[in-house]
Amino acid sequence: MFSVWGAPLRRLAAVAAVVLACAAPAVADEAADIVRDADRFRRPAESFVWHITITSQEARKSPSVDGFEVFVKGSGRSLVKFVAPPRNVGRSLLALGRDLWIYLPDAGKPVRIPFSQRLVGQVANGDVARADYSGDYEVKLLGEETVDGAACHVLDLKAKTKDVTYAAVKYWVSKDGRRPVRAEFYAATGTLLKTGTFEGFKEVVPGHVLATRLTLVDGIRKDKRSVLDYGSIVVRDIPEKYFDKNAMKSLD
Amino acid sequence: MRALLALLLVACAAGVAAADEPEGNTPDWLKALRVRGRLAEEFAYRLHDPGDESKIKSLGWLEGKYTFSEAANLRVATRGYYDTVFEATDRYPDNVRRNQEKELELREAILSVSHGDLDVRLGRQQIVWGEAISTFVTDVVNPKDFREFILPDFTELRVPIWALDAQWRLARNVTLEAVWTPDTMHNRLPKKGAEFQFQTVEYRFRNPVVRLPDDEDEFSLGRSEGGVRLSVLREGWDVSLIYYDQADKTPVLFQRQVANTPPRPYQIALDPQHPRLHVVGATLAKSFEPVVLRGEIAVSVGKRYETSNPLDADGVVRRDTIDYLIGVDFPLLWDVDAALQLSQKILTGDATNLTKPGVQGQVTSSVALRLTTGFFDNTLNPSVLFVIGLERADFRMSPRLEWVVSGSVTMAVGADIFEGDRRTLYGQFDKNDRVTLTTTWRF
Repeated sequence: MFSVWGAPLRRLAAVAAVVLACAAPAVADEAADIVRDADRFRRPAESFVWHITITSQEARKSPSVDGFEVFVKGSGRSLVKFVAPPRNVGRSLLALGRDLWIYLPDAGKPVRIPFSQRLVGQVANGDVARADYSGDYEVKLLGEETVDGAACHVLDLKAKTKDVTYAAVKYWVSKDGRRPVRAEFYAATGTLLKTGTFEGFKEVVPGHVLATRLTLVDGIRKDKRSVLDYGSIVVRDIPEKYFDKNAMKSLD
Repeated sequence: MRALLALLLVACAAGVAAADEPEGNTPDWLKALRVRGRLAEEFAYRLHDPGDESKIKSLGWLEGKYTFSEAANLRVATRGYYDTVFEATDRYPDNVRRNQEKELELREAILSVSHGDLDVRLGRQQIVWGEAISTFVTDVVNPKDFREFILPDFTELRVPIWALDAQWRLARNVTLEAVWTPDTMHNRLPKKGAEFQFQTVEYRFRNPVVRLPDDEDEFSLGRSEGGVRLSVLREGWDVSLIYYDQADKTPVLFQRQVANTPPRPYQIALDPQHPRLHVVGATLAKSFEPVVLRGEIAVSVGKRYETSNPLDADGVVRRDTIDYLIGVDFPLLWDVDAALQLSQKILTGDATNLTKPGVQGQVTSSVALRLTTGFFDNTLNPSVLFVIGLERADFRMSPRLEWVVSGSVTMAVGADIFEGDRRTLYGQFDKNDRVTLTTTWRF
């Protein structure tokens, strides 16, 4: 029996291996394409200025509101100016690829910090300063699920290097239109740090639909949450000095 | 002080008026103007020998920025304060009162102009080099105000100077900076009898001593200072190389004999001078998520120290000096951020008879640990800074608890505890332990 079926099975296995080997990059390419398409709902142009308000709430305490003005140019270059409340005004964050600095008026100079450090509430520096999942993570398509009635691709994102905000992300992207829907953010230990929900899709810039709200909820304490509201956008060319750490003080 | 308060009130009124103005009706010139500031009340109580108020300081900062265009802006900032402690206690002599009771100072007056890859900043300013926090290893351009030791924020410690600062982006992530200043201002040191008066070298003269005034001109084209910094970011390594030519900002007391009318013996004159220094250094920083590595090194060529050796002719010896630090920032459990830093001062030569606070031998080492965290969505922020000198185990511990009352108001209670031999950097203030309360309102 085995002698009869052995050879055909081995041939079949060999053919399957070849087919899978050829298909794997195609699947990976498709997965990367999905994430790249989803990233476009989080960045409207190559160079733009975006106003973000973050409302953080913990349990029954009154919420705190922080305002930011985010200058983005190209892939991975952003300057985040703190514009409210008054105690934070004058601070700024500069992200150049996977390098991040904070300018504190009290110190008078930019200081190197990690992306994973908390900015406010449930929001890490990288949540505001970087929106480039396709550049930061290796992507694998896990399957499909339905989230809030929408059929979604489920993707497994693994950090390409240690220099990104999260070690891993489980990412749900709608099959229709490839919009970001939901994300779970994990530490290197596998601990769920927080979950994110993308909402408020609007045509903020002519011809470009964007997610205007991201809600981040703590992975353990569900009563700790931060809502990032993406407000007005100005698409314009931003001078190079905005992305020079030596100029952070003069941009205050 | 009244003038400052009036200015602050006018600025507040202008700010409120601008806020009330409907967006569409705001004239362009007003849109280009940004005014902000803060008021603070700082209280310190000295804990022993004797227990008493040591600071009741009312401070105000006012800053205006006018943006002419994307490429040009003008920024002006002032700071004023009045310390009521000199009315509350008679513990401090008149010279200290005159020196520290009140001040109104122009902190910034900078015209910034950009053209392509060139940024120029001209005017009164702080120019800050270096990567680490709470140290001055390569932070060499501005003189410092040590009248309250190194306890205030570093932007308050730095004394602004009139300077030209030009930065040229040679390529992406490569910047060359050149600084020139005729403002050769010295460090501001506490007067005799002040709360944080430094220990001085213990001379053993048999002859009468006279200290000459430090009257070197603090604004001189001939003795102007300057330097360059090259900053490069490659593969996440943030590296800069610096060179700065300056006068030593702390006076060095040269001795000389001055003839006296016989039969009186000759006098020893202590003549404060500011020898020329050539500072060559480098800084680096790199993030190994979530750890950040920092390092700084500075070699001061031409550094001179006072010696208590009676056989030394002018009482001063040259010891080129290497200062360096290496530190890591890393997260601990429970959202606690830690920063650990080792720093050393190394004299290139024998340090016998040079001992004074800050110089404990040929090598002087210290370790600093800072812990910070936040509770209730960072509205309650405890922190502690602990610095210990490794040779004599003198230390400083500064716990602090900041309460964010609202978006504009913060309150902080804290303490500064010093321990050690009085000839050490922190031990010299062993009797100056204090608790503090600071309230700040920003607008």
